[in-house]
Amino acid sequence: MTVLADVAARPRGSTGRKIGLGLLLVFLVVLPLGTNIEGQTWVTNARLFQFTQMFMLITLASNWNLTGGFTGYVDFGHAVFFGLGAYGTGILMTQQHGIQWPFWAAVLGGAVVAAIFAVLVGFPTLRLKGPYFSIAMLGTFVAMREIIRVTKPVTGGGVGLTLPPYLNRALFYYLTFGLAVLVVSVMWWIRRSEFGSSLIAIREDEVGAEMRGIDTTLHKITAFAIAGFLSGIVGGMWAYQNTFIDPDVVFIESRTVELVMMTMLGGLGTVAGPVVGAATIYWLRDVVWAAFFDWHLIVEGALLIGIVLFVPTGIVGMLGDRSGTSLQRLWGRWLGSRDRPGAGPDPPRAAPPQPQGPQGDAGDEP
Amino acid sequence: MTAIATEPLLEGRSVTKRFGGLIAVNDVDFVVYPREIVGLIGPNGSGKTTLFDCLSRVQPIDGGRVFFKGVEITRLKPHRVAHLGMARTFQVIRVYRKLTVLENLLVSRQWRGESLWNQLRPSHPDTEGQARRLIEFLTLEHLTDSPAGTLSGGQRRLLELGMALMPDPDLILLDEAASGVNPTLVETIKDRIRALNTEQGKAFLVVEHDMRFIADMCSRVYVLNYGEKLAEGTPQEVMANEAVIEAYFGA
Ligand SMILES: Nc1ncnc2c1ncn2[C@@H]1O[C@H](COP(=O)(O)OP(=O)(O)OP(=O)(O)O)[C@@H](O)[C@H]1O
Ligand SMILES: [Mg+2]
Repeated sequence: MTVLADVAARPRGSTGRKIGLGLLLVFLVVLPLGTNIEGQTWVTNARLFQFTQMFMLITLASNWNLTGGFTGYVDFGHAVFFGLGAYGTGILMTQQHGIQWPFWAAVLGGAVVAAIFAVLVGFPTLRLKGPYFSIAMLGTFVAMREIIRVTKPVTGGGVGLTLPPYLNRALFYYLTFGLAVLVVSVMWWIRRSEFGSSLIAIREDEVGAEMRGIDTTLHKITAFAIAGFLSGIVGGMWAYQNTFIDPDVVFIESRTVELVMMTMLGGLGTVAGPVVGAATIYWLRDVVWAAFFDWHLIVEGALLIGIVLFVPTGIVGMLGDRSGTSLQRLWGRWLGSRDRPGAGPDPPRAAPPQPQGPQGDAGDEP
Repeated sequence: MTAIATEPLLEGRSVTKRFGGLIAVNDVDFVVYPREIVGLIGPNGSGKTTLFDCLSRVQPIDGGRVFFKGVEITRLKPHRVAHLGMARTFQVIRVYRKLTVLENLLVSRQWRGESLWNQLRPSHPDTEGQARRLIEFLTLEHLTDSPAGTLSGGQRRLLELGMALMPDPDLILLDEAASGVNPTLVETIKDRIRALNTEQGKAFLVVEHDMRFIADMCSRVYVLNYGEKLAEGTPQEVMANEAVIEAYFGA
């Protein structure tokens, strides 16, 4: 519990914040009991379902942030791990031959598949820098969708797979809630650990980190595999809850974009950022959907542009946590510099001008 | 001078580095013995930093071989060289701007290939104690918890020096580590380098344009010019050398 209480604030959680966070957690734990209360209409099964979705988004955004925010490798194909987890779980639970795995074992199996894939794909792609990595991962994601589509005997192809139906909103609520709490705690722990500092060192200056003795390849791949594993678990839970998976409902491009947007809104490279961002956007979307149904994608797109331009360090950054980063910082050195990335020994950092958002990193350089 | 009958700590044989048509380091032989402070001087663009980059293995070496503690490092990965006990500072400062001064030091500690599992915890109190002592020595106490990105240029140089000392290396390559640092602190740094050298037997290879720094600190000096070794000897010998004077001050 003390671990969780500190999550909200990086340097030191104030007592007020700890109490607030504690109350919020207690509220979320007892919330499903509300369905038993006669006469109230707010806590419904549909409401629990919404919370379940939000918990999954918080978890996915936190995982994305491990590679995208801490390590600085902005992954546009992260949903591939979610998809592999979903398909791994689906396939293991619906095997025609041999034993059908129970849910919990299938989820772990799917997550292991996602983690192994992260290692395999990480070796070539994590050598790429900045936007080149992002685009390679987007390609990986799209390719995986087509691979799933054509491997019909195993994956059901375009027809998809139907998992054993299991309808228990409260159970999925607690599963996803527990996972979100666990993952955020893991991220908080990593941030305090030497491993976490090394990841940030890699983000800030990969060549320097390597010369100072950090095995950058090992660190990057490990972070990628952890993120892939945890997102694989979310995928498995999602598949079971949805009972039906096919390539088009699992591998949706907007799912990754969503994660990027949420993390950026909350604060890239902070523990609290993805949590705050995912929760905000999830509930905001409810409002936006209701208000501008036909327009919601445009409104969301505008929101993303607005974040990039005006709140580059996100909500957490605005609240004074300066330990995070921004897309401008991560990419500016590749897009703004005339040097070809990876060309010389002296990377981008050597070029003094660091593009900064209008109100972003102002205090960063003296 | 005192380097009789000991194994070299660092040895380069015909080290060569090209950038396209430009030969930045041309067939250079050099050696640093344990407990030595050796200077490396030369006009701007003579290849000093490039030679450092080759030694710390961020630049591929195009010709020749390099040995450190008897191990050939010509093709080793940068972090492996660091694990062997070589550290350096950078002419163009490289600190991790979003990490605090303390975190910058902690993350530069001695890794020497320890398992990732052990790194999944906060730094050991001993490591932190060592980092705090370095911060004190570098007179950066008031900035311990400030992000390195908020430090001034001179303060960042000091931090970098600390980051190079943090892993307790046997050889430290200093690339203009004193430039931009105020004169009193430069004297302190010199004292500290001497102390590290005499008390702990650490060796240094020092690039510096300030000849007084070189003359005060180094027992031997190599002079590079257009990537080639122009001269070597004691600081006095080198500074009296006609070719060196010409290279520095023009004909
Ligand atoms: N990455 C690179 N690509 C191409 N040429 C380079 C690169 N790095 C250095 N050079 C060239 O190699 C030569 C040696 O440069 P180097 O930085 O080693 O000089 P230096 O002796 O450290 O000079 P200074 O005293 O100014 O620091 C220069 O002509 C430089 O232009
Ligand atoms: Mg130089």
